[in-house]
Formats: sequence, C-alpha cells, structure tokens
Amino acid sequence: MFVKNLFSAIMATTIFSLISALIFLLLDGVDVSLTEAAVGAGISTILFLSTLKHTNVMVKESKTPSFPLIVLFLLLLGLLSFAVSDLPEFGKFNQTSNSQVSEYYINKSKTEMGVPNVVTSILAGYRGFDTLGEVVVIFIAGISVLGILRKRKSNS
Amino acid sequence: MRHHTIPRIVTKLLIPVILLFGLYVQFHGDFSAGGGFQAGVIFAAGFILYNIIFGLDIGKSILSVNTSKSLMALGVILYLMVGFLGILLGGNFLEYNYLSNTPINGQLLGIFLVELGVGLTVSNVMVLVFYSFNDISEEK
Repeated sequence: MFVKNLFSAIMATTIFSLISALIFLLLDGVDVSLTEAAVGAGISTILFLSTLKHTNVMVKESKTPSFPLIVLFLLLLGLLSFAVSDLPEFGKFNQTSNSQVSEYYINKSKTEMGVPNVVTSILAGYRGFDTLGEVVVIFIAGISVLGILRKRKSNS
Repeated sequence: MRHHTIPRIVTKLLIPVILLFGLYVQFHGDFSAGGGFQAGVIFAAGFILYNIIFGLDIGKSILSVNTSKSLMALGVILYLMVGFLGILLGGNFLEYNYLSNTPINGQLLGIFLVELGVGLTVSNVMVLVFYSFNDISEEK
C-alpha cells in the first residue's frame, strides 16, 4: 500500500503469501499451506510479473487520498472489528460448528471411507458435489482467461 | 534465461524433485497432506519454472497448448464420469460405494479418480493461463 514501485509491491505480496503459508502450517492446515505456497507465492507472482512486463507501467501514480474515502475506510474498519468480537473463540471445543458435523467426520471417516486424511475424505467424498463445482469454476476461469486474451490478440 | 548458469543448474536439480513431490501429493493425498488441487498446482509450478528458464518453445514442444486444453477438459469429464458411473451402478450421483466389490474399495477408487480429475484440470488451467499471459507479452 505504501510502496510506489510496482515490482517491490509484487515482491511484498509474495513475501506476505509465504509468511501466511507458514502461519497455516503452524495452525496444522497443511493442505491450505501447500496451496498458499504454490499459488500465492509461486504462480501468482509469475503472473503478476508477466502482467507488469506486458503493461510497461513500473511506478504507481501518487495520489493523496480524499477525506470521504478515509472516513469510509475507518467506518468499514470499525464495522469489521465490531463483527470480529462476535465470532466464537478460536479453537473452542463445545460450540455448534465444532461439535456436530466435524465430530461425525472425524469419527466415521476411517470406517466409512478407509481414508486416514479427513480433509481428503471430506473434500472428495462427503462434499464431492461441492468439489465438482469448484473444479468447474476453475475450468470456466481458465476458459475465460483464454477467451479474453485471445480476443485481444486478433484485434491488434 | 538459459545463459544464467546458477538458475539453470538449480532448476535442473530442482525440477525432478518438484515434479516427484507433485506426483506424491497427488497419489498419496488420501493418506498424507494434500490432494488433487495442491498436486496440480505444484506440478504446474514446476513446469512453469522449466518454461521460464529454458524458454516457452521447448516447454510448448513438451506440452502443447492444444494438449493442455484437452487435458483440462478431460479432468472435468473424468470427475463427471465418476459421478454418473455411480448412478449407472445403482447409487446416487457421486456415490462411490458401488464402484468396486466392497464399499471401502469403491470409496478409495472413487476418491482416487476424482482427485486425478481435479489435478488434471487445475494443473492444465495454470499452465494455460501462464502460456496465454506470455503469448501477449511476446507479441508486444
């Protein structure tokens, strides 16, 4: 946000992704951590850099933020902080979201699926339909990128 | 980038490890961390690294744009086929219990095939996005 050079902004984003991958690792979310390290720190950096090369814009224009924008920002920040105080305590055992479905998955996954990794058995087994939607979304995103970039190619 | 010695050598050493780790995450995903999405992304990252160092021409001779497009669609089709196979064999959509002789084996087979579909689609979408971004920059 405070960096003017876009290259260093991209590098800062990459380092942020790498650090959040480490945070996910420490919170035992190995799957999310793998994804964050590969997508956030790896591929998106490459895509950002090739966009930078494509657009030839290296330095962001400096603008002083207007007063209503600052007020709106502070208002949204206050709202978010207010909402965070309503969230359940992190890692608390006896609350609804931690005690009903997840307990079933953790206890039954081995006998019903034969898969020790509960994350995989939920993603591909119990919630297979959701994952199908996710794959279709990725597929459509890929097609859209191809379509958008191809159109520009034929125009020029 | 081929004339930079250190990136070239490091890439040559690292790429087999990255691709092997991608395959490990893909096929061992139901026993340890990972799954189709992670494996696809890791595999694509390794392949993109190869493209960056050795040039897009060699990369495209290994995995051409058209092959990549077909593989991308094949992943989704594989996922859907597993779903409809469940219906044909007497269950619900995406119910893996009927795919093999015992329900557990059916579940393992179903999850394996579904993860394979996810991995194919994700890795090929990543590679295709990378290709199309770079085709534009080359043209300008």
